[in-house]
Amino acid sequence: MTSAAVPTPEPTLAPETVLSVEGLEKSFTLHAVDGRTVEGLRGVDLLVRERSHVALAGLSGAGKSSLLKCINRTYVTGAGRILYRRAAGEVVALTELDDSAMAELRAAEIGYVSQFLRTEPRRSAHDVVARAAIRMGADPAEAHDLAAVTLRRLNIDERLWTTRPVLLSGGEKQRVNLAAGIVVAPRLLLLDEPVSALDPANRECVIEVVADLTARGASVVSVFHDLDAIRRLADEVVVLVGGKVVDQGTTDDVLDRGLDLEQELQPL
Amino acid sequence: MNDWALRVQELGRIYGPGGAECVAGTGPEFGRSVSPTTGAVVGCWDIGFHVSPGEALGVIGESGSGKSTVMRCIAGDQQTSTGRITLRSVDDGATDLGSLTDSERRALRIDQLAVVYQDPSEGLDLHVSAGGNIADRLTAAGWRHFGNIRERAAELLARTEVPLDRMDDPVATFSGGMRQRVQLAKALANRPPVLLLDEPTTGLDASVAAGVLDLIRDLLEETGVAAVVVSHDFNVIETLTRRCLVMHHGRVVEEGLTDQLLEDPQDAYSQRLVGAARG
Repeated sequence: MTSAAVPTPEPTLAPETVLSVEGLEKSFTLHAVDGRTVEGLRGVDLLVRERSHVALAGLSGAGKSSLLKCINRTYVTGAGRILYRRAAGEVVALTELDDSAMAELRAAEIGYVSQFLRTEPRRSAHDVVARAAIRMGADPAEAHDLAAVTLRRLNIDERLWTTRPVLLSGGEKQRVNLAAGIVVAPRLLLLDEPVSALDPANRECVIEVVADLTARGASVVSVFHDLDAIRRLADEVVVLVGGKVVDQGTTDDVLDRGLDLEQELQPL
Repeated sequence: MNDWALRVQELGRIYGPGGAECVAGTGPEFGRSVSPTTGAVVGCWDIGFHVSPGEALGVIGESGSGKSTVMRCIAGDQQTSTGRITLRSVDDGATDLGSLTDSERRALRIDQLAVVYQDPSEGLDLHVSAGGNIADRLTAAGWRHFGNIRERAAELLARTEVPLDRMDDPVATFSGGMRQRVQLAKALANRPPVLLLDEPTTGLDASVAAGVLDLIRDLLEETGVAAVVVSHDFNVIETLTRRCLVMHHGRVVEEGLTDQLLEDPQDAYSQRLVGAARG
């Protein structure tokens, strides 16, 4: 008996949802070591509404950065899927997009700011940010002004704008990377520890900039090892332990009932 | 498929006797590219990809992996054994470049498909001046007015950061880095939609290589050309490309977004390659 092929259903998302992670698994097979497999994410679910900020919380190694990298397709995922609603309304499965389409989506709508304090080599801070603006669709004639406004907003000393990145401190590189990620506000911003290398004044500055992004329409998924930042920025918190979601809800609810969470995060 | 400028389908190149039957027993799973039955070398086999305007695709692998064979088949420097290579700009992709005559393939190099080689002597006449090399490409495309040719050559040399007071010097008197800059200027002279770069910074001193790499990075962003970058150097691939193929023993063993291949390579060979480069 032959059976007709069952067409794959079009991915759908509930209204007002920009991102849905469903049963996501991620493992790492270490061919170059001994062939063993290390579990990263184990059946993670996550919903992000439009114009909302979801913070991922948990100890180092819980899978927070891995989840961001899976959404950004820096990591190859296993089972499960990630659905994303484009600005035009179309819902796409990021886990199934071909590489070219994903690269284009990154350029146009999805910003990712890595936790690593490294910027594009041999390119000035101003150039890095201006070129990011052009890639995100800004008019080249306006990109330099946009870059200047963003660098100024993130408190980067103007004397450093045209120097090589080797002259920047870790905190300055962190803010240059953030500037490149937000110079044209992405529809979805993935932020991995954006204040980890910052002094209190610059940390405050970045928190205000991120808050303003969601106020202006961006959705954010973040990792902060900073409970105060989570309290001030996040609408919802998802707690990961060992690659699994162990708690999620509104920020106040999760932080109120997660008695150990503060203790776990604060020393970091 | 998104808009594309270059498309390669099921490309294969075999050196030596025999046809497709030589392929059995070769490839990564057998650890060899030499046919155990005929002794033919399978340079590359079953290679497929496309490149969009404004996009750079990397091809990485160790020496002998087949990456330069792929590049040379696309460039027309070598015949293909099988497969199709098409340019969107040529008959809207209907013509397999492998079906063209040698003179027709050479004509494509004027303004449809440019190549920057690791060895500048392959892309330049070293006994001719920098300006003359560029003029050669321009006149092939129909430029006739001396002043216009001179102006365009000067514009290209300025953009590739070659001092204009060296414009009339033979390229043989230039340093390696400067020769690569002249190659870039010549390659881009007629604004080709597709650019092939074969190990464009290999063999240059580190500081010179960085300068050439930065120039290529800027030119790719500014021109919107579709580029294929062949290199064994992850730094080059990471700087210039957003998608990448990993080749081993003549086959593509993995393809993906460049940052994914660097951070989460899946194939055992890719992991060894990244591990060797990045630790």
